[in-house]
Amino acid sequence: MTKAYQLNNIKLSYQHVVRLDIPALTILAGQCIALLGENGAGKSTLLKLLAFTAQADEGMISLFDQQINSSLNTQQRQKIGFVDQHPYLLPGSVEDNLKLALKLQGIAAKKHQLLIKQALTQTKTAHLADKASNTLSGGELKRVAIARAIVYQPDVLLLDEPFSHLDQHHIQHLEAFIIDFAQQANKTVIFSSHDRLQGVAIADDVINLVAGKTTASPLLNVFHGSLSQHIFNTGKIQINSTSTLTESHHIAIDPREIIISAHALQSSMRNSFSGRLILIAEEEESVRLTVDCGENFHVLISPESLNNLELSIGKTVYLSFKSTAVTVF
Amino acid sequence: MNYFIDSLTAAAELIVSFDAEIYQLVLTSVVISITAAIIAASIAIPAGVTMALNSFHGKAFIQHLLNTLMAMPTVVIGLLLYGLLSRQGPLGHWELLYTPTAIIMAEAILIFPIMMNLAITAVHSADPRLVPTLITLGAKPFSLMINVIRTTRLAMLAAIITGFGRAIGEVGAAMMLGGNIEGFTRTMTTAIALETSKGEFEFGLALGLLLLIIAFALNFILSWLNLRHD
Repeated sequence: MTKAYQLNNIKLSYQHVVRLDIPALTILAGQCIALLGENGAGKSTLLKLLAFTAQADEGMISLFDQQINSSLNTQQRQKIGFVDQHPYLLPGSVEDNLKLALKLQGIAAKKHQLLIKQALTQTKTAHLADKASNTLSGGELKRVAIARAIVYQPDVLLLDEPFSHLDQHHIQHLEAFIIDFAQQANKTVIFSSHDRLQGVAIADDVINLVAGKTTASPLLNVFHGSLSQHIFNTGKIQINSTSTLTESHHIAIDPREIIISAHALQSSMRNSFSGRLILIAEEEESVRLTVDCGENFHVLISPESLNNLELSIGKTVYLSFKSTAVTVF
Repeated sequence: MNYFIDSLTAAAELIVSFDAEIYQLVLTSVVISITAAIIAASIAIPAGVTMALNSFHGKAFIQHLLNTLMAMPTVVIGLLLYGLLSRQGPLGHWELLYTPTAIIMAEAILIFPIMMNLAITAVHSADPRLVPTLITLGAKPFSLMINVIRTTRLAMLAAIITGFGRAIGEVGAAMMLGGNIEGFTRTMTTAIALETSKGEFEFGLALGLLLLIIAFALNFILSWLNLRHD
């Protein structure tokens, strides 16, 4: 399969803080990828790197098997559509903005009308074509910015936090658009989100980003600290793992691997903590519990289990999980 | 006090009676200043935008140099150009001394750093997302510069008007390089200096009033532009 992107040994620091540290990352063409992580995890920086508006301090990045050393040529630039978290439209009408993109990409003027019409239709913004860019609402602005990014028919669409600050109605529209766009032949979509479930719902694959590093683990129960002799110390609690890595500073524990009980369990599980239940929340078909054991643990259980355990806020509960449930990275 | 009020009345009469000599001076001043502003702007604005958009070695030095040149006394520019253009000077064979061209050169040099600095400021105060947006949409260095200028055009226009205002009010270099030749290189400011020293206070005052009116009009246009900008 064609690789849309290949990153090797990427390191990027800003004001002496490491923002990205990615030994290797491959993004296959034709995929819809969700880029997940907390605020400040480096999602925007990675997207800017993929859009080639930011440069890494070290490392190599290839776009469709072509190594990019400095700036993109016209064909390469035309392959990428990028929509910023807070998109900026130039003064003028919506149509002016789309036309400018086509002009800057060097696309023949006779194709402009058709391409503009297509992009506006795809993003359901045809009625906004003549509106001045500074009169658009937040949701309209995002959709127009997406229209502008796809008007020259790029192969890769990069969206930074496309769902933030949108109401439910706009979110549904945007999800449908992303699914439609990604289903076209050989179109790659990479979007960032801090909403884990949204990412999983519409993406083929997920990239988790924690403190500038990619990880395969889900993003709940991520702790920072140091590992020595299988014991990970967060500064507040100590967690047993099976890892022999020494350079690692993060762990993640799958919330479905954690067993919650009203009494301490006698078992083979190496990790056992007691804490106060501080949050019970509905999450899709499951119930998410947050337990303060020094660090906040998130646990996913079924609604039936919630009834059986007779849990309430403030109650002391016990958490147990195997050391193999701990992912070190 | 009567003397001042009488002079003011006489000056106003000169203005409203469209005194030919006065309007000849206004025309000379305006033509010289506009030409200088256009020449300076056509280099200073692209240079300022290019400098703001790129980082390179010596950028800080150029910025310091521009700030220094902004404060350079106009007589110093007059002096340097005089040395270059006078008959014994290296450019003496151009025979430009005591011509409007010499004044235009001096004014253009004088307002260049002001315009370039204002152009740099205009780019820096534009939306920080403007340049990355244009780059992701495919802008090359030249189209990037053109589109940045287009987007910040009101601030660029303000830079040109500020430069023009500085040029039309300038007296030192105009005097030294123009030679204050009547009907040729005599500008409003050099005429004021001359007429006042001759004791023709009303005439000088009339010109002074016109200069004030021009300055007022320019400031009015500037604040109107700023209003539209916001």
